[in-house]
Amino acid sequence: MDSLRTGTKSESLLKQEFNITGGDFVNAGESSIKIRNTLRDIGIDSDIIRRIAIAAYEAEMNVVMYAERGIMRIDVYRDKILLAIDDKGPGIQDLDLAMQPGYSTATEEMREMGFGAGMGLPNIKKNADTFKITSEVGKGTKLEIRILLDGKND
Amino acid sequence: MERMTERTFTHSVKVDIPKCIGCVACMKACPTKAIRIREKKAFINYDRCIDCGECLRVCPHNAIVPLTTLFSDLDQFKFKIALPSPVFYTQFGPDVMPNEVLAILKELGFDHVYDEALVCEMISVATEEYLDENKSPRPMISPICPVVVRLIQRLFPSLCKNILPLEPPREIAAKNLRAEVAKQYKIKSEDIGIIHITPCSAKMVSINHPESMAKSHLDGAISIREVYNKVMMKLKRNTHMLMMQTQTRISGIGLGWSIEGGEIRGMKYTNSVSVSGLLDTIRILEDVESGRLKNIEYLECLICPDGCIGGPLTVENRFVAKSNVLRLIRHFGGKKRVNSDLVKKLYRENFFSFKRAVEPKSFPPLDRNRNVAIQKLKHKEDLINELPGIDCGVCGAPDCRTLAEDVVRGDAKLEDCIYKSKE
Repeated sequence: MDSLRTGTKSESLLKQEFNITGGDFVNAGESSIKIRNTLRDIGIDSDIIRRIAIAAYEAEMNVVMYAERGIMRIDVYRDKILLAIDDKGPGIQDLDLAMQPGYSTATEEMREMGFGAGMGLPNIKKNADTFKITSEVGKGTKLEIRILLDGKND
Repeated sequence: MERMTERTFTHSVKVDIPKCIGCVACMKACPTKAIRIREKKAFINYDRCIDCGECLRVCPHNAIVPLTTLFSDLDQFKFKIALPSPVFYTQFGPDVMPNEVLAILKELGFDHVYDEALVCEMISVATEEYLDENKSPRPMISPICPVVVRLIQRLFPSLCKNILPLEPPREIAAKNLRAEVAKQYKIKSEDIGIIHITPCSAKMVSINHPESMAKSHLDGAISIREVYNKVMMKLKRNTHMLMMQTQTRISGIGLGWSIEGGEIRGMKYTNSVSVSGLLDTIRILEDVESGRLKNIEYLECLICPDGCIGGPLTVENRFVAKSNVLRLIRHFGGKKRVNSDLVKKLYRENFFSFKRAVEPKSFPPLDRNRNVAIQKLKHKEDLINELPGIDCGVCGAPDCRTLAEDVVRGDAKLEDCIYKSKE
């Protein structure tokens, strides 16, 4: 019985990984659709799925728009879902600034395509229960968010 | 008599078993993977069916039957009212006017006829009022296509709150009609039968099992196909039709609702989008669910290609029908016919409002117990890798992925795959 185990270290029940290619706008959004289907299969509440789908989509777009490549990982735990995105790219110069709604370093072309409204990171944060971001200029950005489950399906 | 019991069913189509030869056409076409072939016959899982009518369109053997009201069913009503979809006017060639069609419906035995187009225009005003008053969520999604509502409930449950909570024109027209006619002709409202003349069988389900109220204001839906011959015959024979002035105030704006884009065309919210066709609707709803269309105010989605004129129960091909609509719109003009102040007053009295919210009806997970569901998901992924992936359909499931899912749900065996059984 998993739930009888003491301690805070619970195990990931389900792990999925997706590769994201920078600049590939054509296939952008595919990973978040796959994640959504997976979560439906295992009976996650539809509002939680939507929050994850939004966060995953925004995170995926960030990699497509700014980075060279990235990996998105999703881990389902008994009580939470972890979404982690690790990219190899330019990194973020000023994290505080990047977290401000409306701030964007998107190019004119990206804005033409309807991206780069400066809502990406704030929107991810809004949909997450915990949000952690670290970045190293010239290397890449790591983003980890957690969304809590109510656990009623245990 | 079988027909009468079927009317209470929750679905819009059934398989005519003797006609079905068990080919894979319907199963392949079904967007929600609700159909399987079992013992050489198609079997519809109604829990997954959204009543889109794709199976009806593609069946080469006419073995999928729409469950709509029959002409012979009308006798049960003392006072019969026809409420045709504006699509109906587009079916009889370029020179036939709505008034003629309405007059013929009266000759065919309806005691009263009513044109819906004006109500469409009223709903446009009500929609703008709603959008003015409610700034979130966005986009709001049109409730007029019953298949879109069912698709959202099942595949995009989190978007149920984006469905505009106003009843579609056919319901509002029927609600108003019943009260007016009962008063005017001094008859009991339960003796009145209000029958929609419909381009799709999904309307029947929305009448039998409405999602936003306890009981529909309509009493049935006859398919355009069912009435077509009778009307055509009259049109051909009566060269000098007596032009009965059933209604002169046809709304050009309202007529436009039968084609994609009609609902949003005159809207002051210009940041609106219209989509038609099943796959494109699913795609755009995926985008809405990912949160990437928040800047759009209103989304009109119609499941049939090009809108209701592309409905599976129409007769005229949709391109000609579209040309006919556009001609009618030019004829009647884009002038507003409704009294906006009156509509706004009705709106404030909740005349148009849903009685209850549309509830999500998600497909069941692989298992109720999450841990078991996760095990089954892993098993499913393994099976998908094991299966040939050519989606031949011989196993009775539409594709290998779905067979894998059926296997882990306990509804099929891996050996149903001819490639696996050969090994």
